[in-house]
Amino acid sequence: MSGIWVVLETREGSVSRMSWEAVAAALQLSAIVGLPISAAVIGAQTELLAAELAANPITQAVNKLIRIEHPLLGEYTADGFSLSMELFFATEKPSYILFPHSYQVRDYAPALAARMGQALIGDVIAIDDGPVFTRQLLQGRLNGHYRHSGDGPCFLSVQAGAFAAQTEQAQPASSATEVTLFTPTLTPEKIRTKPGTPFRAAAQSVDLSAAQRIVSVGRGIKDAEHIPLAQQLATALGAELAGSRPVCDQGWLPAERQVGSSGNTVAPKLYLALGISGAIQHLVGMKGSQCIVAINQDADAPIFEVADYGIVGDLFEVVPALIEALNAAKQL
Amino acid sequence: MMPFPATLAEPRAFSLAEKLLFIALATTSATAFWLRVRGIFTKILQSKKDPGFRPSPVGKRLRDFVWEVLCQAKVIRERPLPGLAHAFVFWGFCAFALVTLNHCAVGLGAGFLAPSHGFGQVYFSAAATFAVACALGIFGLLLRRFLARPRWLGAKLSWESGVVALLILALMATYLAAFCVADGGNAAHLLWWAHTLVLLIFLPLIPHTKHLHLLLSPFSVFLSRGGFGQIPPLVGDEDFGLVAGTDLTQLVSLQAYSCVECGRCTEHCPAANTGKLLNPKEIILDLRSYLNELGPASEVPLLEKLTAPQAPFQCTTCGACEFQCPVGIEHLPILIGLRRGAVNTGAWADERGAKLFLALERGSNPLGIPAAERDKFIQKQGLPIFDGTQEYCLWLGCMGAYDPKGREIVANLSRVMNYLGTSYGVLRRERCTGDAARRLGNDLLFQQLAEANLETMAQYKVKKMVSICPHCVRTIEQDWKEFGTPPAVEHHSEFLARNAERLPRHESQEKLVFHDPCYLGRYRNIYDEPRAVAALAGKLVEAPRNKERSFCCGAGGGQAFLGEETGERVSHARAAELVATGAGIIGTACPFCHSMLRDALNSSGEHAPQLLDIAQLAARGLPES
Amino acid sequence: MKIIVAIKQVPERDARVRIDANGQWSPEFDQQYALNEPDAYALEEALQLKEKHGAEVIAVSVGPERVAAALRDALAKGADRALHLQCDAVGSLDALGVARLLAAAVKPENADLLLTGLQSEDLGQGQTGVILAELLGLPHASLIVRVEKTESGFTVKRELEEGWFQCIEVPAPAVLTIQSGGNKLRYATLMGIKRAKAKEVRRIAATELVKLPAPTAILERVTLPLKQKSTQMLTGSPKESATALIEKLKQEARVL
Repeated sequence: MSGIWVVLETREGSVSRMSWEAVAAALQLSAIVGLPISAAVIGAQTELLAAELAANPITQAVNKLIRIEHPLLGEYTADGFSLSMELFFATEKPSYILFPHSYQVRDYAPALAARMGQALIGDVIAIDDGPVFTRQLLQGRLNGHYRHSGDGPCFLSVQAGAFAAQTEQAQPASSATEVTLFTPTLTPEKIRTKPGTPFRAAAQSVDLSAAQRIVSVGRGIKDAEHIPLAQQLATALGAELAGSRPVCDQGWLPAERQVGSSGNTVAPKLYLALGISGAIQHLVGMKGSQCIVAINQDADAPIFEVADYGIVGDLFEVVPALIEALNAAKQL
Repeated sequence: MMPFPATLAEPRAFSLAEKLLFIALATTSATAFWLRVRGIFTKILQSKKDPGFRPSPVGKRLRDFVWEVLCQAKVIRERPLPGLAHAFVFWGFCAFALVTLNHCAVGLGAGFLAPSHGFGQVYFSAAATFAVACALGIFGLLLRRFLARPRWLGAKLSWESGVVALLILALMATYLAAFCVADGGNAAHLLWWAHTLVLLIFLPLIPHTKHLHLLLSPFSVFLSRGGFGQIPPLVGDEDFGLVAGTDLTQLVSLQAYSCVECGRCTEHCPAANTGKLLNPKEIILDLRSYLNELGPASEVPLLEKLTAPQAPFQCTTCGACEFQCPVGIEHLPILIGLRRGAVNTGAWADERGAKLFLALERGSNPLGIPAAERDKFIQKQGLPIFDGTQEYCLWLGCMGAYDPKGREIVANLSRVMNYLGTSYGVLRRERCTGDAARRLGNDLLFQQLAEANLETMAQYKVKKMVSICPHCVRTIEQDWKEFGTPPAVEHHSEFLARNAERLPRHESQEKLVFHDPCYLGRYRNIYDEPRAVAALAGKLVEAPRNKERSFCCGAGGGQAFLGEETGERVSHARAAELVATGAGIIGTACPFCHSMLRDALNSSGEHAPQLLDIAQLAARGLPES
Repeated sequence: MKIIVAIKQVPERDARVRIDANGQWSPEFDQQYALNEPDAYALEEALQLKEKHGAEVIAVSVGPERVAAALRDALAKGADRALHLQCDAVGSLDALGVARLLAAAVKPENADLLLTGLQSEDLGQGQTGVILAELLGLPHASLIVRVEKTESGFTVKRELEEGWFQCIEVPAPAVLTIQSGGNKLRYATLMGIKRAKAKEVRRIAATELVKLPAPTAILERVTLPLKQKSTQMLTGSPKESATALIEKLKQEARVL
């Protein structure tokens, strides 16, 4: 048995942050089961990347690094990736195969696991003695604790942000990681789908539902002349500007930027509500946001009930402080 | 005019030729009249039968008939001057019954009322008084229609109305003139013929114009559905509401043909008053045109033949139209029927509407908010849970459970109930009563909600309910009846009014204007109770459009969930009216009214009056706890 | 064209979460169920293709008696017939097991297109569709927001991370997993429900379909998450609270 394998995903030529988190998860697992860790990169041109990784102290935890390389793997396809990895792992007989739980992994890892008679345990947020793997059920309302059963490899994918990626290696490098090349036999007709070039959604003036971060203003902004302040914060955060209904009704922001029951429904990673009381009509439009921050003068404002972080204060003082702090952080 | 006691001059004896001519003309006229009337009666009778229509209690029907038709009460009350003029015309017609009969009999040489003495003399003189009043009335109405031109009568001048008015004037004139001429003379003879010709021209005109209401309105008033905004049940597997001509029922057809085109419905419609496409009068007349053109057996979709197919979905179901109609047309079941036809068949593809239905399909409330939020509120507020031992089940509804202001209203009501020592509890789980689904015509969804709720009521042995929302009250009490027996339910204004004496007053000279919610006022006939409660905390003043004439806030009929209105907002129009009374407090008794008016007042910016529910007003006087 | 839509019935979102004495959770603990929302989008996609190109849409679901309601809902919304793969212990199967049942049932249908929702609202594995494709030997694509029929198959629009999209050419027959939000869902109508009464629902016992090997991923027990949502109020001067907030957003919430 060749231990724990981590499949590293690349983003624009370098290994994605999520993949490093998968390595951290593998380290944790390794400590529990006492097995060595190996890693694989996959693509059409992996030599340079592998060399970089091998020299990188972080990869020291990894015993072996495999380059799964083939011209047909330049672009991601489910067929290409599953077939290549199936061929590779058939020679290796791993005990555990870890992936980052990315969109790409969700597209092929279950098929790969099925080929090897396994069901992937996906989107894992914790690994404990057993090993027992925890994943979320009922949209976060329950934690489910899973065990793997049977002889085959245990397929796992790891949730983004669940394991802290190590950014530095504590000990100095001992020896460079061994890098090996594996060339799967692939023929064009085995790859049945043809992927196109990725593109962004057609540039409309604003697509709030696609925004990852939103700064939203309510009546607390008091007047149209203060909107630029909110815009500054939005710019500093790389966020879109939005508003509650009264703000849009007054014309301080265009109607397309309205969030609420009669406007857009949004679920960004970060929703910053400035001077918004939290009337139900507004909440309905943003309650799905991952992280809600509220800044309001009124400590009893309903928005605080749904916020993850709240500041009771004058937004005209807090917002400039935020902008300053954000810009300062950027200078670093 | 004529000096009384002149007597009615009669024509000299008619020759055979004249009698034959009279018979011929009369037969032609009567035939033209009958053919048209028969066609209309056939269409009405061939329409689908109304399911669930019960003629009893007859007493109420008779009372309504006497009051609204004979006494013309609604006609006069809602538009006093024109109403009175019309009343004179109507009473004139009634008085003329015997006159006309005798007139025709005279033509055949068989006159039975002698004008010169006895009962005949008294009767003809009395009829003359009525004739004067009638002539003045119709003349006034003529001036109103053609000179004053009120917009509710429509943009286009109705020439047929003018012609009929002139005919009526001619009838009165020829009658009254007969008092001034010699009995048996040429003038009397000519007048007789003139009167006859006018009569025989008028007769066939009646069923070809809106004057058909002369025949039909007594029926349409008498044969009402027996409840305000009464929605008939659907029957069988193929009934989806008013989809095509085949779905028009006898009552709908009768009412469509009874329309007098007075425009009172449109005059009071909140949608029509804020520039929307909806025009209730137009909808009724569109149905009449449909019946005329295509008949009650046609499969052509009704919505296709409406002047504005989107119009029914702009309705707030406020009921002002149905309330105003002097001939008893029930607009609400018609508008909701048209909505049903589109929604039950999936033809209505409105994005927000679909979102609303989907939220209700899978969740407990129309806002799409997780039920856990309601639990949090109950816990935070310390509301007791209903366990079958308390007197009341306090129904929160969606606004009471999830809306911050609605929650405040509930909190205040619970404070008052605690003070009064009334025991109550809230259910662990509520599902929407289904009001929005019902008024939008989604019968599948409404049935699911009603049945699920009735089961809960039975399970927890709920006997009495009190709610802060008139929509919930209406739906629970009336609409759930279609699927079971709902518990007794009352609105919190009724409960508070009953206990008003025990509540301490909050002495204040602040002027307070109460906004009558549609579903509490017109739908439930409750006007005094909320005022009794409001009076605990302020000095009542009235809005120009108040009580039965209250102007909708714009939220009803599912509109609160359907998003932005085009043009002027109903809520803004109403808010402006309330603010203009100069009151410092606007009192509400419905969380939807409260929400709509709050939005409207907020965007008006400047110093807006306070907006308080009667529960909040009642709690004002309570000692701090 | 023949389109198969695999749907799952999940506990209603508002249902209370129940854990039994042994720390077990099962979908059978609940009393209120609803159609899994991404599956509703998959069904919608199928119905729109049907309306545009003409197709027979077959809804299929694995589960006990209660699942019949979800199938009826699908029929009411416009599916032509349904397959109920009866399995009382569906909660004890892993994604591979469920996909094996589905594959065995739908293989004889020789569908042109098979759709599933991206993932379920209860377990959220997001695997059944991908595994189904593998078992049927068909190409697949996941996270699809739009499907267009072409001469040889389908052009689909796939969602990528951070607001990017990609179009993929997929030959028919194929399996697609559909992301929520791509279409506007239709609501169930009275007419739909009445018409559904006449549509065929074929029941097949899971045991008759295929013998399943033991699951490899086993849910041993469940626990309630320790961190409940609570608002962290940041205090101090505007500068202090601003700094604290950025810190939290970076380290704790990890959204910066």
